[in-house]
Amino acid sequence: MNPFVRRQLAGPPHCRRSSGALFKRAAAFGGALVLAGCASLSPDGGTADVQALVGNNPLMAGTTAQRVPDEASQKSVDALLAKPLDAESAVRIALVNSPRVQDAFATLQISDADRVQAASLPNPVLSFSRLAQGREREFERMLSFNVIGLVTLPWQARWAGQRHEAAKLQAAQSVLLLAADTRRAWVRAVSAQQSVVYLRDAKDAAEAGAELAHRMAQVGNWSALQRTREQLLLADAAAQLARAEQTAVATREQLTRLLGLGGERIGYTLPDRLPPLPKSAPELGDVQALALRDRLDVRSAQAQNTAVADSLGLTRATSVINAMEIGAVRNTTFENDADRSRSTKRGFELDLPLPLFDWGQARTGRAEAQYMQSAARVRDVGVLAASEAREAWQGWNTSYALARRYRDEVLPLRKKVNEEMVLRYNGMLASVWELLGETRASMLVVNAGIEAQRDFWLADTDLQLALTGSSPGGMTALQTATAGDAPAAGGH
Amino acid sequence: MNRRNFFAGAATAVAATTASRVSMAALPEPVMQSSTATAPPLAPPNGRPYNPVVTLNGWTLPWRMNAGVKEFHLVAEPVVREMAPGFKVNMWGYNGQSPGPTIEVVEGDRVRIYVTNKLPEHTTVHWHGQRLPNGMDGVGGITQPHIPPGKTFVYEFTARRPGTFMYHPHADEMVQMAMGMMGFWITHPKESHPLIEPVQRDFCFLLGSFDVEPGSATPKVNTMTDFNIWSFNSRVFPGIDTLNVRKGDRVRIRVGNLTMTNHPIHIHGHEFEVTGTDGGPVPRTARWPEVSVDVAVGQMRQMEFIADEEGDWSLHCHKAHHTMGPMGHEVPTMIGVDQKGVVDKIRKLVPDYMVMGDKGMADMGEMEMPIPDNTMPMMTGAGPFGSAEMGGMFTLLKVRRDQKPGDYKDPGWFKHPAGTVAREVPGASVPPAPRNAPSPGNSSNTDATVRKPSGAHNH
Ligand SMILES: [Cu+2]
Repeated sequence: MNPFVRRQLAGPPHCRRSSGALFKRAAAFGGALVLAGCASLSPDGGTADVQALVGNNPLMAGTTAQRVPDEASQKSVDALLAKPLDAESAVRIALVNSPRVQDAFATLQISDADRVQAASLPNPVLSFSRLAQGREREFERMLSFNVIGLVTLPWQARWAGQRHEAAKLQAAQSVLLLAADTRRAWVRAVSAQQSVVYLRDAKDAAEAGAELAHRMAQVGNWSALQRTREQLLLADAAAQLARAEQTAVATREQLTRLLGLGGERIGYTLPDRLPPLPKSAPELGDVQALALRDRLDVRSAQAQNTAVADSLGLTRATSVINAMEIGAVRNTTFENDADRSRSTKRGFELDLPLPLFDWGQARTGRAEAQYMQSAARVRDVGVLAASEAREAWQGWNTSYALARRYRDEVLPLRKKVNEEMVLRYNGMLASVWELLGETRASMLVVNAGIEAQRDFWLADTDLQLALTGSSPGGMTALQTATAGDAPAAGGH
Repeated sequence: MNRRNFFAGAATAVAATTASRVSMAALPEPVMQSSTATAPPLAPPNGRPYNPVVTLNGWTLPWRMNAGVKEFHLVAEPVVREMAPGFKVNMWGYNGQSPGPTIEVVEGDRVRIYVTNKLPEHTTVHWHGQRLPNGMDGVGGITQPHIPPGKTFVYEFTARRPGTFMYHPHADEMVQMAMGMMGFWITHPKESHPLIEPVQRDFCFLLGSFDVEPGSATPKVNTMTDFNIWSFNSRVFPGIDTLNVRKGDRVRIRVGNLTMTNHPIHIHGHEFEVTGTDGGPVPRTARWPEVSVDVAVGQMRQMEFIADEEGDWSLHCHKAHHTMGPMGHEVPTMIGVDQKGVVDKIRKLVPDYMVMGDKGMADMGEMEMPIPDNTMPMMTGAGPFGSAEMGGMFTLLKVRRDQKPGDYKDPGWFKHPAGTVAREVPGASVPPAPRNAPSPGNSSNTDATVRKPSGAHNH
């Protein structure tokens, strides 16, 4: 057994030095203890590594995700909430305050614990039995432990490490998705609030028209038909406003949830309008190459695949003998006869399953299939990432062109139509209702322009996420890509 | 009101004749006109003498006498007609303007008219009302081939009867007339005529209608009834020159109607007789005095009277809509509708919004609010006492004792003798009328309100 122990001890380099003295004694238990003490929990559960993965991502607004909210971070949240909340501030708040971040880091910590667990020696088993035959008493004591567990410990520790790396990538994706979701929610909430303003104006225009129509009918200038038509327009405008108001509430609540806010903090204010469009499109080069290089889900699938490939070797090695227990036995027999003689037997016991029936083909086959599966997932994520990069880039350009068209063409034209209608009204060439109708139409066009601007900023977030983070489709695709159950070491 | 120098136009016309390029050719050099001013009467330089007419905001086409034949040259072409100062319309016309120049000849004259087509499509000229060989009648496809773009045709006939005539295309007629192609023709009597009296002032103009979308400049050729520009010689008030006469003058006004509706032409302060129609002089026994004469579609009328009442007398079509600029015919009546409370709401959305029409439309004549480019106000013009609130087919007959014979200059506003202007009765003010009468349904209050228009709430 010493060679095994030695090999185990030869594992992590920092353990080799500290265990030098004990090594001479070559005590298996001692070695196990040292080993167990060596694979310790990382103090931050991998948070720093996650932050290193996402730190430079433009979605992060230069902020760091907070594992556990502290007093300082809460103060910063309050400070950010005191002003109209811009997109960057919203992301900052979400990253220090959202339960989703804390959830992601807790999950990472669990993974860290699993890693430490996997690198720990199995505990030895102490058996004790007392047998009586007539006056004869026999005490049997056995200290045994799982040799295979010991033998495979280095591998298991390595896979756990690999799994933890994958978990870090996953946590990083969670953080980025939260940042992206927050940005998108912010964009939706601000635009919905903006829409309400313009639809309220549209309703006011309809209200003025209906009121004048009412007065027209009152003095006998208009029929019930004409008056009723104007009232109908008002009813329609009011319904449109009600829908917009509900959308504003819903989108704001969505943002509030992502920010993890409650209590008095939900009274935050949003800016009046979305940020202006960028002056030009960014120079990105080959967006597919970018996505394949930088996306965390691609890297995660690749790491997963490496781990599965590793596990394939172990499965092959342990396919025949997958359990072996060795025990030291000390049996003491008390004759309890006249001379009260007692005898002690010492020896060892080895449990070894005979590979008569299970030659391990099933396990090997399973592991190989898992490898194929994981390789397929790498390709899948690659195809997804490249396709999403193309789609998101195209989406960015289309929504940018559309929003610009509204800004530079449609809205100025609409304004011109309104001005001309005022001139026609002035010349008694058009009625006040035509003027109000034009105003209403104008508000609806402004609203369409806001929606175009909103869609642009959503596409902008999608593009950043698709190129650097993960699938903008959400965690579902991500989970499918990385869900590979960690290879069950040895199959038991 | 726009006052023009009557002689400016003639100068331009003469200047144009000097730039001769085809004078050596068989065609007479076309004379062009760039001015919209009323040209002075063109005294005939040759041929039989006659007493020339004055074409309101127009001119008479000079001719070339060629071996005893009067030769005219009309050029059908796109023109930009200034219908009133600042209001320019893309029309089709003749020799630089719409309407085309007046052609004046004398009964018995042999007349040869060259017509050059510079339009993008073919045309013809129909000599409305003339007795002439059928092949000279100018009906495209029926009596002659069309004149293709770029070609010159010649018409030749003898002016057989004296009277008032018109000319206009008879090819794609609806479009070409909607675009302004028309002109006047006068055949003067060759000697004294028992039914045609000599007059001191002889004016002529054509009635026209156009549909020019406010803010645009080209007539809508497919409009049938809903026109918005009503003109005398393709001019609208206040762009129409006044008819300036000397007190005691015998005045003849010849009017031809090339619109698609009738126009009751009405003169203030005088009774006239219709002395001639498109069919010639009216027998004396068939004449009667009146102050309005309906000029039906395609008709011509000559009104004659002695201008013996001094003053500025309105001369206009009596259809009220025809003395208006463009207006929204669908704009509902706002009279009586108090906009209090609503106006602020509208101004929030439309900052330039002004309440109009709640007391009537007279506001419109006084307010000078911006309206679409190249658009006549619905009512406009100003006189010595305030806004005229007019447009379209409206001008003035100015009768003055000191207007010199042969002087057509605008004498300015009439100076009324003391005590001859309507005036306010002092000390007789009443409170203004209520904004609106009680609703018809509210009959119990009607009596009281009618008897007490002061609107005192004591019923
Ligand atoms: Cu009329």
